[in-house]
Amino acid sequence: MLKDMFKKTYTLIDTKYKGQTREPNVPEGLWRKCRKCGQPVYRDDVMDSLYTCPKCKAYFRVHAFRRIEITADKGSFEEWDSAMEFGNPLDFPGYEDKVREAREKTRLNEAIVTGKCLINGEKTALGVCDSRFLMSSMGHVVGEKITRMVERATEQRLPVIIFACSGGARMQEGCVSLMQMAKTSGALKRHHEAGLFFISVLTDPTTGGVTASFAMLGDVILAEPGALIGFAGPRVIQQTIGQKLPEGFQRSEFLLDHGFVDKIVPREEMRDTLGKLLHMHQVSGARRLDGVCGEKSGIEADMAAGNGETQKADGGKTAVKNEAAGNGSEQKAENEFASGKTAWEHVQLSRRTDRPTALDYIEELFDDFIELHGDRYYGDDGAVVGGIAMFHGQAVTVIGQQKGKTTKENISRNFGMPSPEGYRKALRLMKQAELFGRPVICFVDTPGAFCGIEAEERGQGEAIARNLFELSDLKVPVLSIVIGEGGSGGALAMAVANEVWMMENAIYSVLSPEGFASILWKDSKRAKEAAEVMKITAGDLLKLRVIDKVIPEREPACGDNLKEIAWYMEEKICGFLEEYGNLESEDLQKQRYERFCGI
Amino acid sequence: MFTKILVANRGEIAVRIIRACREMGIKTVAVYSEADRDSLHTLLADEAICIGPAPSDKSYLNMERIISATVAMKAEAIHPGFGFLSENARFAELCEKCSITFIGPPAGLINKMGNKSEARKTMIEAGVPVVPGSREPVYKAEEAKAMAEEIGYPVMIKASSGGGGKGMRISYGPDDFETNFLNAQMESVKGFSDDTMYLERYIEKPRHIEFQIMADKQGHVVHLGERDCSIQRRHQKVLEESPSIAISQELRKKMGETAVRAARAVGYENAGTIEFLLDKDKNFYFMEMNTRIQVEHPVTEMVTGMDLIKEQIRIAAGEPLSVTQDEVRIQGHAIECRINAENPAKHFMPCPGLITNVHTPGGNGIRVDSHIYCDYRVPPNYDSMLLKLIVYGKDRESAIAKMRSALGELVIEGIETNLDFQYEILNHEAFVKGDIDTHFIPTYFPQYGK
Repeated sequence: MLKDMFKKTYTLIDTKYKGQTREPNVPEGLWRKCRKCGQPVYRDDVMDSLYTCPKCKAYFRVHAFRRIEITADKGSFEEWDSAMEFGNPLDFPGYEDKVREAREKTRLNEAIVTGKCLINGEKTALGVCDSRFLMSSMGHVVGEKITRMVERATEQRLPVIIFACSGGARMQEGCVSLMQMAKTSGALKRHHEAGLFFISVLTDPTTGGVTASFAMLGDVILAEPGALIGFAGPRVIQQTIGQKLPEGFQRSEFLLDHGFVDKIVPREEMRDTLGKLLHMHQVSGARRLDGVCGEKSGIEADMAAGNGETQKADGGKTAVKNEAAGNGSEQKAENEFASGKTAWEHVQLSRRTDRPTALDYIEELFDDFIELHGDRYYGDDGAVVGGIAMFHGQAVTVIGQQKGKTTKENISRNFGMPSPEGYRKALRLMKQAELFGRPVICFVDTPGAFCGIEAEERGQGEAIARNLFELSDLKVPVLSIVIGEGGSGGALAMAVANEVWMMENAIYSVLSPEGFASILWKDSKRAKEAAEVMKITAGDLLKLRVIDKVIPEREPACGDNLKEIAWYMEEKICGFLEEYGNLESEDLQKQRYERFCGI
Repeated sequence: MFTKILVANRGEIAVRIIRACREMGIKTVAVYSEADRDSLHTLLADEAICIGPAPSDKSYLNMERIISATVAMKAEAIHPGFGFLSENARFAELCEKCSITFIGPPAGLINKMGNKSEARKTMIEAGVPVVPGSREPVYKAEEAKAMAEEIGYPVMIKASSGGGGKGMRISYGPDDFETNFLNAQMESVKGFSDDTMYLERYIEKPRHIEFQIMADKQGHVVHLGERDCSIQRRHQKVLEESPSIAISQELRKKMGETAVRAARAVGYENAGTIEFLLDKDKNFYFMEMNTRIQVEHPVTEMVTGMDLIKEQIRIAAGEPLSVTQDEVRIQGHAIECRINAENPAKHFMPCPGLITNVHTPGGNGIRVDSHIYCDYRVPPNYDSMLLKLIVYGKDRESAIAKMRSALGELVIEGIETNLDFQYEILNHEAFVKGDIDTHFIPTYFPQYGK
């Protein structure tokens, strides 16, 4: 209604404006265009946000040296093999020109830059692919540079980090390119056998022969959010099967769900995550826990008071302990634990939704927990959580069965009932702990292994059996703590340990009391009665020597007393690590074997 | 002088800037979002260009679009107004790179003053008093107590992770310090698992006093007196006046000189405001510096007779200040009431919608700065300020009388506004007496303080 109603008042001032000599204009290169949102964005903003779009947060691809700049400690990078000679093995027409052009454009000698550097002060070998160079495809120079870097790292006992990004094998080099997959994988196998650590970081895009070789071989595989990662390219798949591909197919998140990526790390957290992982692999195995505990004294007596828990005065001769079990008066005293509650009350307490879960204890007990995902075969099971964390300056592998506290959480955690992929993830992390000499601490809390068609299809029985088999002679100390329900084989698959502890109100059983009553008496309503006869409480199992220690709960565990309980647990874990941390692997294996043979 | 200026803002302030340009004979370019096609600034400017959809981050905060619009429309300068990009150093830097004059201080200065700890440091170096406090975190009651002695009581004990009053205590002397410290720390440990504490002198019943500064490229700096902005609701100014009843001629001189010294210390340029807390014993402490024109600038214009927007434009074009400090005369008394589209009965919830009827007061000493008109639809996407009613009288008493009369005459129909709340403030005994501090609204209007 007011449109075009106002009179214009401007007078063209005869300008002698001095402040400005140039016409307003946008200098060349000031804007970059975001490939995802299509918006022009300010170059410096892109740089400051680590090469992400300041508007839609999409990731820009990063040049190799920029990546090194944002990853390595300033000035610490020392390049290796910067001038490797190029050849044209197939005499492919025009290939030399293509490479020359790429070299001129990128000022790189090939599609990967390798060398060594420090990340948060930790030494490592580092390789970074650059997509500007023929889509960072792997020809003989790339393969050779990676192989030499890995060999050198093996020699110098350095970890390796490779930022992968590639279109795959370099077509112009034919089968010579294909062989690079075997060569790089072989070098990594030797690095692995030497007990050295490899982190693969997948960035957009990682496909073809690179995915099918070094990129997927990391002890830890990290990915940037939203990166395209796959073997066959999406276009090829779509054309082959003639179907439209689902949203998010072959993106980092898809791979995480399917168990092939340990963790998706946003760019701003990458450097710290790498630094922490390197640090954890520096201290594991190298350092034993010596006298770091013992500062907390009062709490123990305090906690033990009034619930009959008796301290073990065992000085560290654990290997002998099982043989002597049941004879000495010391052990006898330990066998007496009475909580004053009925077995059924314990069952109910162990199932309470406000009971702290594995992640609650992990958060309280450990520092810098880095959760790692996936079984590397099929999926990532929400019912099992695991990863690496620091405990009193020592790296440990922590694994837990995780229940949810709300219905929504419980659906993603499958009510704490692990699937085969959960057990396989646990096993993968345990084997990794073994390789790097880290103790394993498990938190057991499951009604039982998941009972369903899919679980059977993927071999639930096999997965549990495999864990019992492998755990029985794991070369590092293993401690399992039953914090809630210890349901049958589903619990045992994470409790073949040097010591098994139970919380006062936890239960550990061959079957749920309901299941027991229904099988034996054909009446699941008699669960209460079943609970009593099954001997499933901490006190009962201590007597049966199924468990070694009871963690007292003055009040049933919940959020309010979590700190107190964790504090007590922490001291006990210190004791465990002091005792077992110094044993040779043969002694650990023997003790564990005999522990179960003795029952 | 510039021949064309792009106004990178909307609403009342965009209209205010366009009017100044019209008077100066400068062509104006308005930028507008899709929600502001019918907004007064869009209609009043000589040219207008749409810069995106309604959400601010896609339009009025979209630096790339605004710069491109400026280049496309061949404007030589951008006036950012307040809010949006006005204190965005990145934007000022972009303007510089694209040979566009940013009407405001240079990017480096915006950055420097925008960083609280750096601004504090700069002020301490320039000899400007700041609220005494610990810059180091403190964990133990004993150490804290020694620190409190140094700072001087009363002391505010603040948890680093605290918020909403949690982990916050005031200690009035050494006797109650330890208890308060431990309580605050305990609260913080329980609530946030953090025992990091800070101490700061607690300023009792402070007034919010700010000084208007103008500085040109030639290095001249003047202050234009103070504004008393103590009437605030949850740190939002509601009503402002100039001069402040709490400030004597002598104190004005002292505070003004301090403000000028602060501006000189950083090599300030263009319009800026230095905010102080003034305690009941007339001690003043630097709070922060705003590197832009303020909402409440009209009260200063009324008592000094200057046009701050025109002055800003002239300074940006390289002209020297139009006045020296000696020529600045503060006469009479001005009050500004902010009229917002919000409902005081519902916790001041914004109330956008169609304005069905408007009548604004007029006459001697009454000024209305607004972008609303009859049948204008207030979009829900932006700040709820509709109108600034400014009155000028020979003294505070006559200004209050004029404001009461003017508020009584102002009619905005169709949407809820805070008009009646303003009227209540104007009639409150404590306000009339000038007995005000930043706790005025929570003290006297507890129902509105929440």
